[in-house]
Amino acid sequence: MALTGRAGLLAALGIVVVLLAPQPGAALAGVCLLLAAGIVIDLAFAGPVRPLRFHRSGDTLIRLGERATVELVVENAGDRRVRGLLRDAWPPSAGAAPRVARVDVPAGERRKVVMTLTPTRRGDRSSVAVTVRSLGPLGLAARQGTHQAPWTVRVLPPFLSRKHLPSRLARLRELDGRHPALVRGQGTEFDSLREYVVGDDVRSIDWRATARRDDVVVRTWRPERDRRVLIVLDTGRTSAGRVGEAPVPLAGATPDPGGLLPRPDPLPTPGWPRLDWSMDAALLLAALAARAGDRVDFLAHDRAVRAWVSGAARTELLSTLVNAMAPIEAELVEADAQGMVAAVLARAKRRCLVVLLTDLNPAALDEGLMPVLPQLSARHLVLVAGVSDPRVTAMAARRGTAEEVYDAAAAEQARLGRRRITARLRRHGVEVVDASPDDIAPALADAYLALKAAGRL
Amino acid sequence: MSVQARPEQGAGSYPSSPTVRSAWRSARGVVLVGVLVVLVSAVTLLILPDRGPQRRLDPDDTSLVGSGALAALLRERGVTVDRVDSAAAAAGRAGTGDRLLLITDATYADESALARIPGDRLVVGNLPALSTLASGVRVTAADVRSRDRDPDCRLPAATAAGSAYLGGLSMTGPRGTTGCYPAGDGHLLVSFPNGGGVTTVVGDGSFMTNQRLSEGGNAALALNLVGSAKAVTWLVRPDDPPPLDLAGERGRSLEDLMPGSIRWALAMAVIALAVTAFWRGRRLGPVVTEKLPVVVRAAETVEGRGRLYRARRARQRAADVLREGTIDRIVPRLGLVAGAGRHEVVTALAARTGLDPQELIAALYGPPPADDAGLVALAGHLYSVERQVSEL
Repeated sequence: MALTGRAGLLAALGIVVVLLAPQPGAALAGVCLLLAAGIVIDLAFAGPVRPLRFHRSGDTLIRLGERATVELVVENAGDRRVRGLLRDAWPPSAGAAPRVARVDVPAGERRKVVMTLTPTRRGDRSSVAVTVRSLGPLGLAARQGTHQAPWTVRVLPPFLSRKHLPSRLARLRELDGRHPALVRGQGTEFDSLREYVVGDDVRSIDWRATARRDDVVVRTWRPERDRRVLIVLDTGRTSAGRVGEAPVPLAGATPDPGGLLPRPDPLPTPGWPRLDWSMDAALLLAALAARAGDRVDFLAHDRAVRAWVSGAARTELLSTLVNAMAPIEAELVEADAQGMVAAVLARAKRRCLVVLLTDLNPAALDEGLMPVLPQLSARHLVLVAGVSDPRVTAMAARRGTAEEVYDAAAAEQARLGRRRITARLRRHGVEVVDASPDDIAPALADAYLALKAAGRL
Repeated sequence: MSVQARPEQGAGSYPSSPTVRSAWRSARGVVLVGVLVVLVSAVTLLILPDRGPQRRLDPDDTSLVGSGALAALLRERGVTVDRVDSAAAAAGRAGTGDRLLLITDATYADESALARIPGDRLVVGNLPALSTLASGVRVTAADVRSRDRDPDCRLPAATAAGSAYLGGLSMTGPRGTTGCYPAGDGHLLVSFPNGGGVTTVVGDGSFMTNQRLSEGGNAALALNLVGSAKAVTWLVRPDDPPPLDLAGERGRSLEDLMPGSIRWALAMAVIALAVTAFWRGRRLGPVVTEKLPVVVRAAETVEGRGRLYRARRARQRAADVLREGTIDRIVPRLGLVAGAGRHEVVTALAARTGLDPQELIAALYGPPPADDAGLVALAGHLYSVERQVSEL
């Protein structure tokens, strides 16, 4: 049960009545009895909440930054009209609105309540409970009950870097020979023979075939296909650090203003986790590689395998990937590089391009990846991609006051460490992509295209 | 393929709030235990004898803080113990032979009336009326720790008793005072002739309580002090302290001026408050919790390192790092290989930028700056050198 403001108001009026009444004791008893009688009548005649039935329909999959609509149909299977308030409770980061809806469902009928969700975070958001407060005829008291009406909306990574996809696909087509720019490189595959046209590279003339026929015949080449790309996402502690500016505000991305007074020095916005930037880059790479005819597998690992996607059909690869990525959160543990390498070696039997999305953190890589890297690079081509922090770059450039110079020295120290670990990785024959959050996805795609053009896959 | 399955979407709904029956079933254990506790405590209270409140240093009190034992000992020795709770009653007993006035509490008694009572007088503990009851006594310390102390004086009552548990007030008396149990500048027991009798003041009455009476010389001291007379008038705090008289004009208190219905309206206000509290306090559905991701900026470690440099004024370290970073970036631009010697770097740089080689050596490989201003200047210089190299 629940009381309403009207009951409180009635009781407050009772104070005046008791104060002015000639017999205050009797007046007190009278007011209390009146109030109690009203409450009892309301509770007795309020529509029962227990027989209500709820049905849901609407979105189950949305990208982060989009808005989901979930319809909640309230069916009154009881024999009295239910009039009052309804709250469909979702976790705070689901951004559910309205918080409380008014409902009025006559007996045996249905009414629809439309909830809009604006999630501020990736992952699964499930409805917690539906609570209905059914008011009595006098509006003094209400019956209240809670139902479970399960529904889950999966919030997928937004794949913001898909804007870079058309330009990279154009580059891919250039490689493919569909545009008049034949590329001939080491390791590219022989495709077919055709007649020579003016403008063709004379080096590609196949003299043996020319001798058999009257025409001059050239070989055409196409980039290698059906190579394997394994994207490995490091979900350890270094992936939790926030960099850049969040294109879609995440929960907790903007600091809580807190307190009545405005802060004199507002904290800078913490941005997006490295993990989300890495996912964005991984999605662009996967989309590109799938179009290029390569097979894409995906592994998320910190101390254990968090997600593993393999053998997805080309048309469904992206949706499978975003579904696998959606619930992944950064774990606050040191990533187990040895276990990660073992997992990769166990899964990738044939030579493939292993794209490791992690942070180029010298301390973490020194202890984790560097000792086991030779095992990996001996069998596979390894590409390490790390998201750099634009804030550190900005700190290194500010040299106005002594404080800023000390900060710049610290930033310089961090960048030096990054450059050194990059150089060491390259000495191991590992490709390295180190780019700012906004550039990591296109930079990774370009690195992949360069490898493909060079026939190194 | 082991993709995490898409979440299942439930078809129907089911009520999750408890029915009256299930609520009773889950709560009945707690209710039963509560009822049991209430019953047991009620029965215990009914069975046990009513001891009443503890009254400190009361001859009728047998609790640890009372003085029933001392009173019983006095009666055994043929001393009459008269328990009184007002100055008027005490004055009524006065003048009947050899009688001692023992004052344990004078909060509600008329102190000037007490002071007029002739004969021997024993004042126990820190009373507000001490200056009236024992004029000439000056308190030197108010919170002396209570412990067993030796008398160290020539008062027969104290020397015969030996060590006693004393503390509280430390005092000095007027001329002719005998002080015992010294503590600091004063004594914990002072005795001096006053009018027709002897006034004795003790700093603390703990030695007379039932708890302490059997220890050391406590009983002897108490009997020597109190039992010297034939009869004792024992002034205690009244059982029902009279209400403070706050009557205003024409003897009407604030309560009399209030209309009679105020009390009832107050009761109604409490009820209204309860109703309002229930209205506001009842939540519409459960509180929803959520496991949120950590919010930590990746640059925090770098900022922390910068603050450490700043706190320690690590100029050498900062200058080294800045120089190293600059050299690291300009060396490839100058067409040199990594690990080039300082001479090569400076020569190439001087040729490229036209700057003085000595100045460049000082900037890139010189000693660390002596102060923060020097560091800022060095940082600016390095930046300008780097920019010149990259712009050319």
